[in-house]
Amino acid sequence: MHYKKITQLSLLLLTIFTLAACSSGDDAKAENENENELTYAMTKDIGDMNPHLYTGYMAAQGVVFETLVENTEEGIKPSLAESWDISENGKVYTFTLRDDVKFHDGEPFNAEAVKKNIDAVQENAEVHSWIQLSQKITETKVIDEYTVEINLSEAYYPTLSELSTTRPYTFLSPNDFKDGGTKNGVNGYNGTGPYILTEHKKEEAAVFEANEQYWNGVPDVKKVTSKVLPSGETTFLALKKGEINFLFTDDRGANSIDYESMEALEASGEYQVVRSKPMDTKLIAVNSSNEDSPIRETAVREAIWYAIDRKTISESILNGTEQPAGTLLSKNIPYADVDLKERGYDPEMAMELLDKAGWKLDEGSGVRTKEGNDLNVTFYYDSNAPAQKTQAEFIQDSLKNMGINLEIIGEDSTSIADRRKSGNYELLYTRTWGLAYDPESTISAFTDVSYNLHSTKGMKNSDELYKKIDEVMVTVDKEERQSLYDDILTMVHDEAVFIPITYGGMTVVAPENLENINFKQTQYELPFEEMAYREK
Amino acid sequence: MRFLKSLFKDKLAASSLVVILAVIIIGVFAPVFAPHDPLEVNISKKYAGSSWEYLLGTDQLGRCVLSRLIYGIRPSILWVMAALMLSVLIGAVLGFIAGYFKGKVDALIMRVCDIMLSFPGYVMPIAFVGIFGVGLENILIAFIIMKWAWFTRVIRTSVMQYTELEYIQFAKAAGVNHFKIIRRHLIPVTLADIAVISSSSVCSMILQISGFSFLGLGVQAPAPEWGMMLNEARSVMFTRPELMLAPGIAIITVVFAFNFLSDSLQTIFDPKLMKSKKIRTEKVEA
Repeated sequence: MHYKKITQLSLLLLTIFTLAACSSGDDAKAENENENELTYAMTKDIGDMNPHLYTGYMAAQGVVFETLVENTEEGIKPSLAESWDISENGKVYTFTLRDDVKFHDGEPFNAEAVKKNIDAVQENAEVHSWIQLSQKITETKVIDEYTVEINLSEAYYPTLSELSTTRPYTFLSPNDFKDGGTKNGVNGYNGTGPYILTEHKKEEAAVFEANEQYWNGVPDVKKVTSKVLPSGETTFLALKKGEINFLFTDDRGANSIDYESMEALEASGEYQVVRSKPMDTKLIAVNSSNEDSPIRETAVREAIWYAIDRKTISESILNGTEQPAGTLLSKNIPYADVDLKERGYDPEMAMELLDKAGWKLDEGSGVRTKEGNDLNVTFYYDSNAPAQKTQAEFIQDSLKNMGINLEIIGEDSTSIADRRKSGNYELLYTRTWGLAYDPESTISAFTDVSYNLHSTKGMKNSDELYKKIDEVMVTVDKEERQSLYDDILTMVHDEAVFIPITYGGMTVVAPENLENINFKQTQYELPFEEMAYREK
Repeated sequence: MRFLKSLFKDKLAASSLVVILAVIIIGVFAPVFAPHDPLEVNISKKYAGSSWEYLLGTDQLGRCVLSRLIYGIRPSILWVMAALMLSVLIGAVLGFIAGYFKGKVDALIMRVCDIMLSFPGYVMPIAFVGIFGVGLENILIAFIIMKWAWFTRVIRTSVMQYTELEYIQFAKAAGVNHFKIIRRHLIPVTLADIAVISSSSVCSMILQISGFSFLGLGVQAPAPEWGMMLNEARSVMFTRPELMLAPGIAIITVVFAFNFLSDSLQTIFDPKLMKSKKIRTEKVEA
């Protein structure tokens, strides 16, 4: 009897040891460090990399394709264009291109290629309606081999910053065009950027190798692999095992692992956590044009604004990684330093506003009513972002105390986008476009049906707002522009159609010995070409 | 009585029954048993460890895990059982009609069943949720629509077995009313079969519903549900593994209990199995 037990026990131990021996964590880790590589995880496949469409993963497109100019902290800087000249009337932009740039397939980058690419984008202009520039370009002319001229229908001041966005005004080798264009797909992904897409296994991994001919210095990190790992726990384990060694906030603004796991990784001494400065605003978009909903009333919107305790969200839910937001655009954004009415956390004020608006709370009932209607509001969030869900539940609880019944529904990002387009929502968790795009893109999106038209349409002075938005984009005088922006931002703030929550940015988890981890002016890309491993 | 006696002879089955009954009672009287409001957010106490105030600690919003577990019995177990009963009821009615009357009615019902059964198990609920939106009700409705066909088929077979027997044939020949025959002679003998199949499928249904809530298709936040609690704990799986344990163990315990119970129900109702079990135990003891 005893022998039997001992045999069983030793068998069990043997199994455990065998299993332990199978894990190859240490080997994988060693490999990554030796070869000067980075492997990062993301929740989705890189998708269709066609730089003139919107289905690809921006962080991947950003390292392969480049723009004429670059948006940096100090303003617009040269990139593929060495210098540029703007005509007196603001309608003609002349770019002098670099003469040492080649596409990944060896094709020279020149004025002809620029024209072909811009024409390809313009051919499909309706898809690019969010970027106002696509509606303004009338003609692109080749002046000589390295000079190109872009003509606009009217003076449009954000031209340079819109040319600097990750897409669509990026350059693909004309050899990859299909039927002379790009709107029906492309034959390859040869850009001019620091990395070349060398391998792509759908829903599995994509490999980017350093472009040895890169005009701005060959990157130190020779290989960047992007692996698809849909869930946070596997990502965390993969980081621990060394199967991946890099992680950053994805294009939906979500981190796949939670803050405590990041702290644990940092504490292990193998990783560092780097945070960017605030880049965008996480906010609740309110569908003010929803006729059947209580949120068409400004008072209800304002009450919700007052009822949210942003400090607690920032400190307790987000572990201090994002700062409480008081306005739609943070003050450091151009033209956004506007004097707006403070609306802090003030539950009393919220109740008072609701009482005044006629939403009465009866004894014994938890929900306010007005003319027989209950104060019910629905809030949609992205079900793949755990932090959004926690915030939604927290906000729901805060509103319950005010007598507002908030129903929260998690959906995937595509159906949220559909709701935004069709206006089939009351409250929606969303965010602004980010530094490189603000304020222009965020504000012109107020008038775009695919983005925030439904939020602004119900404002009582919406026509005036739209007029001002159209005006500001073509105003040449800086002071006049500022005063228009003042009006626009004040109008949306007073009507409380966008309820800000926090100012968010990017978080990067990187190997402890990786240096030069910088950020761009956009939360959709990272400059991998600048990173380097510290010499051991 | 004989049934209860034989049930209590089997210690495992008896304790399973006790567990299930206890869970059901706690679920029905959740407000009495739960120490806190399961929805009460108290963010300053988030991820608190176990204490006398919060026996199982708190979750990411500082809500009492024990209270959520207790309220979670309702969607996770009670509603599932209700949905199961409804689909068994539909299955039984149609199964009796098909198995007893046979002929064209039988053919018609069976073809409809064939159609329903040709859908893979998960396609129907997902399609249903896709059309009507996420939520526990929709998942449950989809399950009822899905499962009745299976029950109909099984119950029909069981009914058919008995309709061939002489005493039924005799009752028919004697001109006894069809419904009386079903009520008097068929329901009592098929009841055992029905009990066995429904108790064995309750486990898979509990797991499936929790699975859907885990995926975010079932119960919507903040309502507590075991599968959803697991999903919420998943993101902190490595930093706070204890949060996964509570709902995980709860699901395992209940599913085990139902499985053991259905096993022993089967042996009690089927004397042949009882004998084989006895022989088996004798052998082991020898």
